Amino acid sequence: MGRTTTATATTPTSNSLLVLVSLAVLLLLLTPMFGVLRSGEVFTEANLLYGALVFFGAAMVLYLGFALSGNERYVRFASGATWTGFILNTLAAGHRWYIAGRPPFSNLYEMLLSVVWTLALLTLFVERRYGVRVIGTVTMPLAVIGVLLMQLMPSEVRPLVPALQSTWLHIHVTLAMLGYAACAVSFALALMFLIQDRVRTETFLAGTSVLLAAIYLGIASRFDASGGLQVAAWDAQAAREIFIARGEPLMVILPGLGWMFFLVLAAVLVPLGLYLWAVWNREESFLRWANRAFVVGLLVQGLGLVAFVLRARGGMYASPQAEGLFPTSLSASPFLLTGMVSGIAASLLYLLLWWRREGLERMLPDTETLDRLIYRSIGIAFPLLTLMIAAGAYWANRTWGSYWSWDPKETWALITWLVYAGYLHMRITRGWRGRRAALFAIVGFAVVLFTFLGVTYLLPGLHAYA
Amino acid sequence: MKCGEFNPKKFSVASYPTQGYPPNQQSSDNQKQTKDFPVSCTVEHELRFSASSENRGTQMTLEENRRMLQAIYRTLSSVRTGIVLLILLGLASAAGTFVLQRPLTDPEQLERAYDPETLAWLDRWGLTDVFHSWWFVALMTLLALNIILASLERFPTAWRFFARPYLRPGPHFQATLPLQEEVSIRNVEMGLQAAERAFRKLGWKPQRVGKNGDCSLYIERHRVARLAPYVVHASLLLILAGGIVDGVWGWRGFVALTQNEQTDRIERRDGTEQRLPFTIRCEDAGQENYPDGTPRRWWTNLTVLEDGREVLRKEIEVNDPLVYRGLRFFQSSYGSTGTLAKLTVLATAVQTPQQTRTVELSPNQTVALDENTTVRLAAFVPDFMVVGNQIRTRSPEPNNPAIQLLVESKAGGSWKVWLFPRFPDFSHPGDAPYTFRVRDLQMGYYTGLQVAYEPGQWAVWAGCILMGIGLFMTFYMVHTRFWVVPVSDRLGRQALWVGASASKNRDEFLERFRRIMETIRAELAEQQPPAVVTNATVAARS
Repeated sequence: MGRTTTATATTPTSNSLLVLVSLAVLLLLLTPMFGVLRSGEVFTEANLLYGALVFFGAAMVLYLGFALSGNERYVRFASGATWTGFILNTLAAGHRWYIAGRPPFSNLYEMLLSVVWTLALLTLFVERRYGVRVIGTVTMPLAVIGVLLMQLMPSEVRPLVPALQSTWLHIHVTLAMLGYAACAVSFALALMFLIQDRVRTETFLAGTSVLLAAIYLGIASRFDASGGLQVAAWDAQAAREIFIARGEPLMVILPGLGWMFFLVLAAVLVPLGLYLWAVWNREESFLRWANRAFVVGLLVQGLGLVAFVLRARGGMYASPQAEGLFPTSLSASPFLLTGMVSGIAASLLYLLLWWRREGLERMLPDTETLDRLIYRSIGIAFPLLTLMIAAGAYWANRTWGSYWSWDPKETWALITWLVYAGYLHMRITRGWRGRRAALFAIVGFAVVLFTFLGVTYLLPGLHAYA
Repeated sequence: MKCGEFNPKKFSVASYPTQGYPPNQQSSDNQKQTKDFPVSCTVEHELRFSASSENRGTQMTLEENRRMLQAIYRTLSSVRTGIVLLILLGLASAAGTFVLQRPLTDPEQLERAYDPETLAWLDRWGLTDVFHSWWFVALMTLLALNIILASLERFPTAWRFFARPYLRPGPHFQATLPLQEEVSIRNVEMGLQAAERAFRKLGWKPQRVGKNGDCSLYIERHRVARLAPYVVHASLLLILAGGIVDGVWGWRGFVALTQNEQTDRIERRDGTEQRLPFTIRCEDAGQENYPDGTPRRWWTNLTVLEDGREVLRKEIEVNDPLVYRGLRFFQSSYGSTGTLAKLTVLATAVQTPQQTRTVELSPNQTVALDENTTVRLAAFVPDFMVVGNQIRTRSPEPNNPAIQLLVESKAGGSWKVWLFPRFPDFSHPGDAPYTFRVRDLQMGYYTGLQVAYEPGQWAVWAGCILMGIGLFMTFYMVHTRFWVVPVSDRLGRQALWVGASASKNRDEFLERFRRIMETIRAELAEQQPPAVVTNATVAARS
C-alpha cells in the first residue's frame, strides 16, 4: 500500500551511467589496492572507510541518476552499492569498537561514523519497507559528506576521560543517534510531502536560501577586523586544538577570507531578496531571476569552499591572541566545513527539484501515505528522544550529582522535545494534518540540527565532548 | 488503496448526531472536543450555591463573574493554551541558553561580556538566571495546571471506555459506525459460532454478550490504550513534582578532604554550611593515568562514621558515588594540597660518614637520630621562590620543593637545615651534625567531593519509566473493538452485522477488518453450502 512504482521504459542510454559508475568504482578501488597490498594491512579502519566512501559515492551517483531519469534499474544497483558501503562501514565501526573496547561515540569523528552508519541503514530500511526509493537521493550525499569530513578529522583511538566511562553514556548516545535519525527521516518525508502537496518550487528556493543564510551568517560571524576569518589553530603533533585557557582555543586569522564569506553571504541572500520582492509585488518574472541568482550563489559558494580549503589546509597564520605564527588545519574547523558542504548539498538538491519536479512527483508516494509516514517517524523519534533525555539525566546524576543543570545542550534537547510534543498535540487533539503538520516536522528538525551542531558550535557547555 | 468508503479525514465523531448515544460513546474515536466542553461541575455548583445566598442586586455581577470564571477555566484547560505555553517555555529556555547564566558562569566573565547597563537590565528581568526567574516558574506552573485541568476534563470519558466497555451496540450506533459489514447466515447460533471460530483463528478472544435467545459477540484488544495519554501526563507531573521537591528541599555542596581527614560539615552552593547527621572520613585517595599521562581514574576510599562507629566503607570513583541516608558523595576533583604528607631522607652523621640511616618524617613529627640529636620537619615550600626577602611558593605543585628540617642537639645548639631535592648538593647551613639527602617526597593530596541531597529524584526516575511506558502505549497500542450482532437484512433474511472501531492507525485496521471478514466468510462457507453465502455489503458512510 502506498508504494508508487513508476515503470519507466529502459532507454538505450540507461546503461551508460551504470558502466561509468562501475568503471569509476573499479578504478577507485584498484589504484590504492597495490599500495595497500604492499603494506600488508588490508583490513584497517582507514581502508574499510575508504571502500565505504567509494560505494556510498557510487550509490549517490546512481540515486541521483534515478532521480533525474526515473530509471528503475539504477535503484537496484544503487541499493547494492549502499549495501556494500553499509557492510564496509559496519566493519570499520566494529574494528574501531574492537580496538577501543567501547562503542564509537566519544568524539566528533566517532559520532560521524555512527551517523553515517545509521543513515545508510535507514536508507535501506525505508526503501525496502516503504518503497520510498528516492530517499537515497537525500541520504547518500549526506553519507558521502560525512565520510569525507571524517577523513579530515583526527581518527586515532583516544582514551576516555573518567566522566565518560559509563554504560549510561553509550545508552544515551545510542538513543540520541536513533532519535535524531528518525527526526531526519521525518524531515525528508516532510519535504517530499511539500513537493507532492504542490507547494511552489520557489517556496523551496526561499527555504533553502534561509538555511544558506543561516549557515553563512554563522561562518561570517568569525569575521576579523582585518578582513580575515578566524579559525582555530591546530597542534599537528597532538592532533588537537591549542587551548590558551580553559574553554578558550587559540584562533588564527586566514587573511582575506572574511570578506570572501561576506561575499558568499551576499550571494545567497540575493535570491531570497528577489523572491521576497517577487512575492511582495506579485511579479512572476523576478522568480526566474531568483532561480538564476541561485545558480550564481551556488557557484560563489563553491568558490568560497575552494578558497577556504586551500587556505585552511595548512600554513602558518597570525593570531589575534598571541604573538607569532601558528599552524591550522582542516580538522580544526569541522563545523565550518560541515556548514559549507551541507550548504552546497542543499543547493544542489534544490536545483534537482527545480529541474526535475515532475519526475520527482511521479516517483514519490502520495500525500496521504507521506503524511502518515511523517507521523509514524515522529512516533518513533519522540519516545527515543524522551528516553535519550532520561538516560542523559541519569548519567549526569551519577557523574555530576545533578540530573538537570540547564546547560545549553540539555536545554536545547528539552526544546526539541517541546517542539515535537507540540506537533503531537496539534495532530492528535486538534486534528492537524497535511501541510501545517509537515511544516511543523521541518521546524522540529531545524531545532534538532541546532541542538546537535549549533549548540556545540555557538554555545559551549558541559557537553564539550559531543 | 481505495479510501472511498473509509476516509480518515472525514471519520470523526464530531459529525455524528449526539442524540440517542450511550454516554460512553460520545467522542469515542476522536478527541476533537476542545471547544464546547461542559464547565466542570464543581465550579458550577459552587457558583450556584453562592449565587443563591446573595441578594438580587449582586446577581448580575455574579453572573458576570461566573462567566469570567468559566472563560478562565476554559482557557486554562484548553489544548491551545497548552501549545502556547509549550512555545513560550521553548522561547524562554532558548533565551536562557543565549544569555550567559549566573549559575553557570563566573561574575567576571559576565561583566566582560555585557556592559553594566545591559547587565543591570538583564538582571532586572531575570534573563541572567532564566530558569530560576519568577516568570519561568510561573510558566511551568501554568503548564502543570493546564495539564491537570485538561486531563481532568477528558479523563472521565477515557475512564468510561476503560471501566465500562460498550458491549452491545444500539441501533443508532449500528447505523452510524463507519466500518461495518453484513454477512448473510442461515442460523443465528451457527453464524455466531462461525464468527467466534474466525476470531479465535486470528488470535482474538470473542466474548458472548446477552442471553441465549438474544446473543451477540464483543471482541476487543488493548482497552488500556485509552488511558495512555493520562499515563504520559501523570508521569510528566510526577517528574515536575520531583523537580519541585529537589528545588525546595534539595541542596548541593562541596567538600575537600585530605587523607585521614574527617568532617560532618559541608559547604553548600549558596554559601551556607550544612551539618550532616554523621561523619565522613577520607581513608585514601588517588589518581591513575593512561600511558600518555591523561587521567584514567580518580578514586577515594570513604568511611561513614556514626557516633564514632564505622557503619559503611566504600571506594568511590567518577560515575560511582557513595550513598548514605539519601546523601550522595561524588568524586569530583583531585589535586595537590601543596603540603607534604611524608618525607624520606637519608641522614649521615658528619663524624661517621660511612653510616647512613633512612629516616621517615611527617609534618611536625620529631624523630631521634641518635641519643643526643633529634630532627623535625619544620617547613615545606612546594614551589620555592624568593620575592624580596620572603620565601613564597609559586604554585601548590611540587615543581621546586624546599624542605626545612630542624636539627636539635642535647649538647646544645639547633640548626635549621634547608634541603632542595632538585639541587641535592646544596645544603645550608653546612655546620649541622648531620647531612641529609631527600630520597622520597610524598605530597599531600585532597579529594574533592560533590555532595548532593535530592529527595525528589526517585519521583523523577519513576516518572521517566512511567513516561516510557505511557509513550509506548500511546504510539504502539491501539484500542480495537469488534461487535458481531445477528440482525435481519433489508430482505428480511438473517444476517450477521459486524462492526469495528480502532482508536488510531485506521488504515492498517481496515486491512485487519478485511482479513477478519474473509475469515468469517470462509468459516461460514465451511459449515454451509457455498451457494447460500450471498449479499455482503460494505456500508459506505461519508
